[in-house]
Amino acid sequence: MSLTTALNIAQSSLLATSRQTSIVSRNIAGANDPDYARRIAMVASMVPGAQVVQIQRAANEQLFRQNLAALSAWSGQSTLSGGMDRLELAVNGTDNASSASTAIGALQQALQIYATTPSNRNLGDNVIEAAQQVVRSLNEGTTALQEFRTQADGEIATAVGELNALLARFQDANRAVISGTQAGSDVSDALDQRDAILKKIAEYVPVSTFTRGDNDMVITTGDGTMLFETVPRSVSFTPSSGYMAGVAGNTIYIDNVPLSAGPANSAEATGKLAGMLQLRDGVAVTMQAQLDEIARGLITAFAEGDPPSAAGLFTWSGAPAIPAAGPPATVLDGLAGQIRVNQAAIDNPVLLRDGGINGAAYVVNTAGASYAGLLIAYGDRLNAPMSFAPSAGIEVNSSVTTYSANAIGWFEGVRQRAATAAETKEALATRTAEALSNETGVNVDTELSLLLDLEHTYQASARILSSVNQMLDSLLEAVR
Amino acid sequence: MKAVSVSTSAISNALRYSQTRMQVDLVKAQKEMDTSRVADLGLALGARTTQSVNFNRDVDRLNAIVDSNALVAARLSSTQAALDNLADTTQSLITSLTAANFGPQAASAVHDSGVATLESMVSILNTSMNGEYLFAGINTDMKPMHGFDTGSAAKTAFDNAFAGYFGFSQDDPAAAGITAAQMQSFLSDSSLTDQFFGSGWANWSSATDETITSRIALNETTQSSVGANVEAMRQLAMAASIVAAFLDSNLGEEAKQAVASQAISLADRALSGLTDLRAQTGIVQKRVSDASDRMKMQVDVFKRHILDLEGVDPYEAANRVNDLVTHIQTSYALTARIQQLSLLNFLT
Repeated sequence: MSLTTALNIAQSSLLATSRQTSIVSRNIAGANDPDYARRIAMVASMVPGAQVVQIQRAANEQLFRQNLAALSAWSGQSTLSGGMDRLELAVNGTDNASSASTAIGALQQALQIYATTPSNRNLGDNVIEAAQQVVRSLNEGTTALQEFRTQADGEIATAVGELNALLARFQDANRAVISGTQAGSDVSDALDQRDAILKKIAEYVPVSTFTRGDNDMVITTGDGTMLFETVPRSVSFTPSSGYMAGVAGNTIYIDNVPLSAGPANSAEATGKLAGMLQLRDGVAVTMQAQLDEIARGLITAFAEGDPPSAAGLFTWSGAPAIPAAGPPATVLDGLAGQIRVNQAAIDNPVLLRDGGINGAAYVVNTAGASYAGLLIAYGDRLNAPMSFAPSAGIEVNSSVTTYSANAIGWFEGVRQRAATAAETKEALATRTAEALSNETGVNVDTELSLLLDLEHTYQASARILSSVNQMLDSLLEAVR
Repeated sequence: MKAVSVSTSAISNALRYSQTRMQVDLVKAQKEMDTSRVADLGLALGARTTQSVNFNRDVDRLNAIVDSNALVAARLSSTQAALDNLADTTQSLITSLTAANFGPQAASAVHDSGVATLESMVSILNTSMNGEYLFAGINTDMKPMHGFDTGSAAKTAFDNAFAGYFGFSQDDPAAAGITAAQMQSFLSDSSLTDQFFGSGWANWSSATDETITSRIALNETTQSSVGANVEAMRQLAMAASIVAAFLDSNLGEEAKQAVASQAISLADRALSGLTDLRAQTGIVQKRVSDASDRMKMQVDVFKRHILDLEGVDPYEAANRVNDLVTHIQTSYALTARIQQLSLLNFLT
């Protein structure tokens, strides 16, 4: 009787050990999968000798949530910071070489040289060339900014598509979890998969989750909009085919609620979508407004007449009038894209020296070739304070040269903050991922030592089987 | 349950993040070592990039003004030299006038000196530099002075003034009868003085009264040339031309004497005017060179500021590169060791 019991116990031990071994091998297989959570075999004794093995999944809700939040922040910040690096190169160029500020500096120098020898027409051509460079910088800056916005818009559309696909996959994973839980089977693999998808979703939008009965998970965005509840909510966005200065971009709707991009120009964004929205509607728009203001400053500084009333060296679509100075000073959307060097001045740079780009009524000098008064006055006006629109985000009372330098400073300030924040958030994301991995990941060494234990148990149980067998054999021998 | 846990993937990934960070830093440090400037100005300075942009632009602008001041200085020193020559010429006219008596022989010699004075005056005032006539005011494309040769507009107008006043030309035998008093009143008559101090000066000069203005510092402009229309030139022109026109004419000796004394008085005043001009030009020269010196100092100061803002100590950068290389090597070695560190290697 007791020998049979011993046999039974050894048998159930063998069964339990092999199940534990299978878990160890599953754990080792998942050792390098960052989304895999360690399985723990819980062995419980029932009636004497009988063992059951239950599978538990190591999870740490707290760390997982932290990791989700860190992922959102990091993804948003790195989108923002990467976008600004692109913007810097596209608009200001390496070392600000193609920035409006640099071009205006060169124009000022050309003016100074021409003013010293006004009789030399070549130097006048030189000034016109410098002016063309200024115009190119502003025009190309505008094109680059609007192209950038169009591109960001396209990326948003792609990202929204990806988010919708992820939500659909999440639905499948969630269903698997629910039905598994209801059936009472092991849902660890399904949970792993669902968490992995959730991490991906968190890269697009900040999420918060809660779990209902049967392990059913509900996702809302950071600001409380429902993202997933039994079925995914629709994330919708209509991309625009092209952008112009002053044209606002479309909003992303989640469950028909507009997604907020966070405070404008704050260099902070949580989630890739918010980061892209900020780039498209925040930084790029403000930069465009600054370029437009620089263009307005230039047209005004070089205007002809006393008081200045007609667009001179620089002209625009509203010429010969000059853009309204205010007050209040307002941004003329897209002016930086319209500004041109006056054709009359290109044909005859001497008009810049003598006045009269707008016709004989504006001629100032008829006396001779070395008249420098107007040229010196233009140089002074580039340095004279004027008022700029406060909506462009930088100092409103400054000269157009200082303003153009401030524009660079403003942008680099935002870019620096975004880059620093991206670095911090990256470190945080890495750190929380590490902590989560330490808490829920697999340590192969532990598993291997566990395997040794299991091996011993298995050997011992097998030994018992054979010993009992021998004992029964010898008993039967004696009986025979 | 374990008290402390560490996962295998955490161990093997532990160094990965710091590894990439260090490699990024290494690239930066190398760049900084090469250029002695921060690798990414915008990221390093943030909103303070404005300062760097402004300083750099100001340095370029100041340098441009210093360069153009060299041109202004060259023009001024040519002007100064020309004024020197004019003063010498005036002085020698005075000398020849004072020494002379006005018998026919001597008068003719003084006459020659008047003619010579006129010629050298015209040629000096027509000095050009760098394609610009120095004394043309701002009308530097046009030769400012026209001569007093026979047939020239100035000479014709001058002769007409004489003929209009006396009814005959100075070479007419009747001219011998003009008294000193008559001559004196003619010399101060507006029909003659207008030729030099009035509308008739246009026959002499096409220069403008306005002279060249130049910016010599960020906020400083100055007149940087002397025009041919200044009082001293007119006086000198009148002194020399009455000598040239009358001293070999048929005028009597007394009248010639009157001409000579008027010429001396005019030339004296011209000489003192020229001295004033030279002094004024000197003052402007001094202003220009002072402004250039000041701007060079400013450029030095600005460059120091730029260096403070953007500069990186190359030794420090080199040290950083060395440190990073050491760290990265350590981290490689550690990674390799950790990878070997597995229970698997001890199980047989």
